[in-house]
Amino acid sequence: MDPLTIDTTKIKMTKKQPVTALDKLNDTGLISTVLAAREREGLILFSTIDQVFNWARLSSLWPVTSGLACCAIEMMATAMAHHDVARFGMEIFRASPRQADLMFVAGTVTKRMAPRVKKLYEMMPDPKWVISVGSCANTGGPYHESYSVLKGVDLIIPVDVYIPGCPPRPEAWIYGIIQLREKIKNQGYGAKWGLNK
Amino acid sequence: MNPAEELKQLFPDSVVSVGLQIKKPLAIIKKEDLLNVAKKVKEMGFDNLSVITGIDYVDRFEVVYNFFSYTKKQNLVLKVILDHKNPEVASLASIWKVADWLERETYDLVGITFGGHPNLKRILLPDGWIGHPLQKDYDMNVEQFVTVGEDGEDIVSTDGTNLLRR
Repeated sequence: MDPLTIDTTKIKMTKKQPVTALDKLNDTGLISTVLAAREREGLILFSTIDQVFNWARLSSLWPVTSGLACCAIEMMATAMAHHDVARFGMEIFRASPRQADLMFVAGTVTKRMAPRVKKLYEMMPDPKWVISVGSCANTGGPYHESYSVLKGVDLIIPVDVYIPGCPPRPEAWIYGIIQLREKIKNQGYGAKWGLNK
Repeated sequence: MNPAEELKQLFPDSVVSVGLQIKKPLAIIKKEDLLNVAKKVKEMGFDNLSVITGIDYVDRFEVVYNFFSYTKKQNLVLKVILDHKNPEVASLASIWKVADWLERETYDLVGITFGGHPNLKRILLPDGWIGHPLQKDYDMNVEQFVTVGEDGEDIVSTDGTNLLRR
């Protein structure tokens, strides 16, 4: 049937007035929270905090200003107005690792740079995430057979998201950032108990 | 007459042969006479020592000096051939200041000793590194890792203690 021929006057939208506290919560549209409240009354506050924390964390990821090689040029391009990483609340590249919660390992990790990269990661306060960008940081890339390049930054620090490419285009960066946001959204007890869906 | 042939006329005993290397005049010099020839090269107006290259040919080492003259707009390549067991040649750091770092790099990666160099130590790799990586018999099976000590000094280890995740 052609949707234009449906007589919309015959369809009545009925809305229940919220009476109880649960109904008022239902009215806010936080469906997962409401479902959690119906199923496990005692846990509602806990999972809500989890959700709020995750939302706050993924909405303002502040990367540390560190670039190791040519991938850092693409990082600059991602941060600039054309690709505009500020859409994800990431426009503030912090000059100090103490204020950052995300590190892009952007470029070749040489043997001499490796302890410095590790130190930078250890200086960041928890919670912290790492995105490994480019072939060099992922596996060593074209320098895998070299004497002076580390064969993957995951040998020294834990990595959350790998972005392949040499160097990856800003679109790939943004896709990787979205993957990390999904990961942060699904962490904690809320996701473990299936409440964040 | 190109500058390599000029050198051949000036030092007939020191210059082994002349030729061209990628359209640049090339002169192969006896390693004992390099310093004398280099002084003359500087007087000829080659004010810029662009790069020093060391090559391992398994049976011999070669060191290639690329010069450029900004006044004459000319190139010149000098080459010395060293024996493989004890690769040593005179340093040019007293004539061109830039030779200081270029020779340190050649020493660091190829392992050629420059006699009379003011400060011949590694420039790219940390001090404790074992071997010279651009030599053909460098052992690639032993991976070396660098960690930073308490005073900020580089510590070389083959097992990656304090660096690799357990």
